[in-house]
Amino acid sequence: MGIRRTMISIALALASASFAGMSARAEDVKLVLWSLDRDIQPAPNLIKEFNAQKNGIQIEYRQLQFDDVVSEAMRAYSTGKAPDIITIDNPNHAMFASRKAFLDLTDMIRQSKVIKPENYFPGPLKSVTWDEKYYGVPKATNTIALYYNKDLFKAAGLDPEKPPQTWAELLATAKKLTNPSKNIYGLTFSAKANEEGTFQFLPWAQMGGATYKTINSEGAVKALTVWKQMLDEKLASPDTLTRSQWDSTATFNAGNAAMAISGPWEIDRMLSDAKFQWGTALLPVPSEGAQRSSAMGDFNWAIFSSTKHPKEAFKALEFFASKDVTMYKDFGQLPARSDLPVPPTGNALKDSALATFVDQLKYAQPRGPSPEWPKISKAVQDAIQAALTGQMEPKAALDQAAAKIKSIGG
Amino acid sequence: MKRVFSSITDGRGFDLVLVGVPFTFLLALSGLPLLYNILMSFQEVDMFSLGSVIRPFVGFKNYVDLFTQPETMSILRNTIVFVVGSITGQFLVGFALALFFWINFPGASWLRGLFLVSWVMPGLVVGAIWNWILSGDFGVLNFLLQQTGLMSGNIFWRSDPNFSLWAVILANIWLGTSFNMILLATGLAAIPADLYEAAEMDGANAWQRFWTITLPMMRSTIGAIIALGLIFTLQQFDLFAAITDGGPNNSSNVAQYWAWDLSFRQYDFGKGATISVIMTVFVMFAATVYVRSTRHEVRG
Repeated sequence: MGIRRTMISIALALASASFAGMSARAEDVKLVLWSLDRDIQPAPNLIKEFNAQKNGIQIEYRQLQFDDVVSEAMRAYSTGKAPDIITIDNPNHAMFASRKAFLDLTDMIRQSKVIKPENYFPGPLKSVTWDEKYYGVPKATNTIALYYNKDLFKAAGLDPEKPPQTWAELLATAKKLTNPSKNIYGLTFSAKANEEGTFQFLPWAQMGGATYKTINSEGAVKALTVWKQMLDEKLASPDTLTRSQWDSTATFNAGNAAMAISGPWEIDRMLSDAKFQWGTALLPVPSEGAQRSSAMGDFNWAIFSSTKHPKEAFKALEFFASKDVTMYKDFGQLPARSDLPVPPTGNALKDSALATFVDQLKYAQPRGPSPEWPKISKAVQDAIQAALTGQMEPKAALDQAAAKIKSIGG
Repeated sequence: MKRVFSSITDGRGFDLVLVGVPFTFLLALSGLPLLYNILMSFQEVDMFSLGSVIRPFVGFKNYVDLFTQPETMSILRNTIVFVVGSITGQFLVGFALALFFWINFPGASWLRGLFLVSWVMPGLVVGAIWNWILSGDFGVLNFLLQQTGLMSGNIFWRSDPNFSLWAVILANIWLGTSFNMILLATGLAAIPADLYEAAEMDGANAWQRFWTITLPMMRSTIGAIIALGLIFTLQQFDLFAAITDGGPNNSSNVAQYWAWDLSFRQYDFGKGATISVIMTVFVMFAATVYVRSTRHEVRG
């Protein structure tokens, strides 16, 4: 018994000694960061680099699943357990910013030598802006453009260096390329009943001069009519209504669709799967010389307003932004920066595709920003699907969506 | 003191403890969330109030809003079609299979066990596979139907509003059949063989034996299965997520998927809770049927 008691007191002494040793280093500010990035994606790797600097700030990482990001963040914030930093999908940014759940970074950005608003593409920057203040920093960005199969263009007697420029040309080209006997559709895209459908449709409406607030304006109705024509004339598969962008583009890679509308995330798979010559082009516009637009995807950095260490958290964001230069090389994602050229990859096809996307990014517009975005998006999806299934006329469907969006207060 | 103690070890107190433990458990894990859900359906719930219990009370606003939405009636109708269609399909196919294996040919029990594999598979995996089978341009089902000459063009099972709900029902029937079969098989095994012998001696043919012995003896099993089927079908979520996403144009949307969509995609937790309350009423109805049909068993 005596020995045991001695042992315990020794153990206790050791433990408290090591605790004292720990507390000497406990001056480190500890930050918590949540993101959905996996081990080959930016967040965890940048954190490792950041922590290795030993500059008195240590970041702890937690990985989230895509579907959980918003609900986890909401729950954590409302119960006072929010992390210091989070990455958030850009259409959800306004929901948090408008409620001041995110920290207003405007002053810190003004004094920052690393993060300068003028270095970012206008679309991503707009997505972190609420009420003319910055509530975050764009992390990465992407957009959609047109992929086309040059071999099928040649086979149909079309010039493979002249992809369609306008909606009318796109329809005519799709008609020429569609070949039911060979199971080839002219175009593939996604009109799925989730955010992807809105993501793909909104650029069309915007090119027609509409915004989500005027979703039933003439240009948007024309856009939806073109979509409907694509499906009615079987220029695109009826499964466009239920297929994701990723699955839709897979049919392009397999040679079952001659053109595809999707984003830069397809490039690597296309390089290995597509056994034909392909090219990229900017999204066709309603008529020659009309304004361009495109979708804008990917995540933003944000600091929760509940953080106890706003300065340190912003320092971390500055560090992450300083690594934008090598973002494409290291992680294959496009930084949201207009001042950084995407370095050549050594693959001519890939480089030219990337050039198209970087060009398209100049016209990319965020969804919203609106704190009610998910409901607005749902109204738009319902309109797309009602029109494309033939249950409503495009005009009536968009009128209904506009009424819904108005009642939401979007 | 001693009396209390002895009552707990052997007496009324013991009974109370036995009942009390599961009752507390049920109350904490099912009762409270249920009440909380009902409370939420009368409140306006958003991001800020998610963590608190006291929130702006809006009365029946969530219910009224929900029923003024144009899609509500069609979604409720879809739910009924989905439930009735799935249960009928699962039950009929399951019963047919159970009767088939009841013949007890060599290897029957083995084969019957193998059928359970479909029940073990996660819904999302089943959904992904059916997604390929039902796909319009290159789907296996369309290929089979065309090769056998049953039809000439492709049916877009997932994307045609006339078929999308039935596409999910088809997948759900496949998923639930084996469970029905196993339960019905145990019910069949419990029927005493001498009943059939006696009936045969009296000259009853197979059809008469089925109607006058098998079905009446299976009454409680069938009631239980249909009630459980109702609950499982109302829980079915993965297949919708994997095959149609409730689309196109809500033609395959059902209450349970809609509740999720409202709560976790549109972050309208109040309305999500409202749908859950409506569904709870349905399930309580099923539970009543279940309890009534199994009461016979308890009495022996």
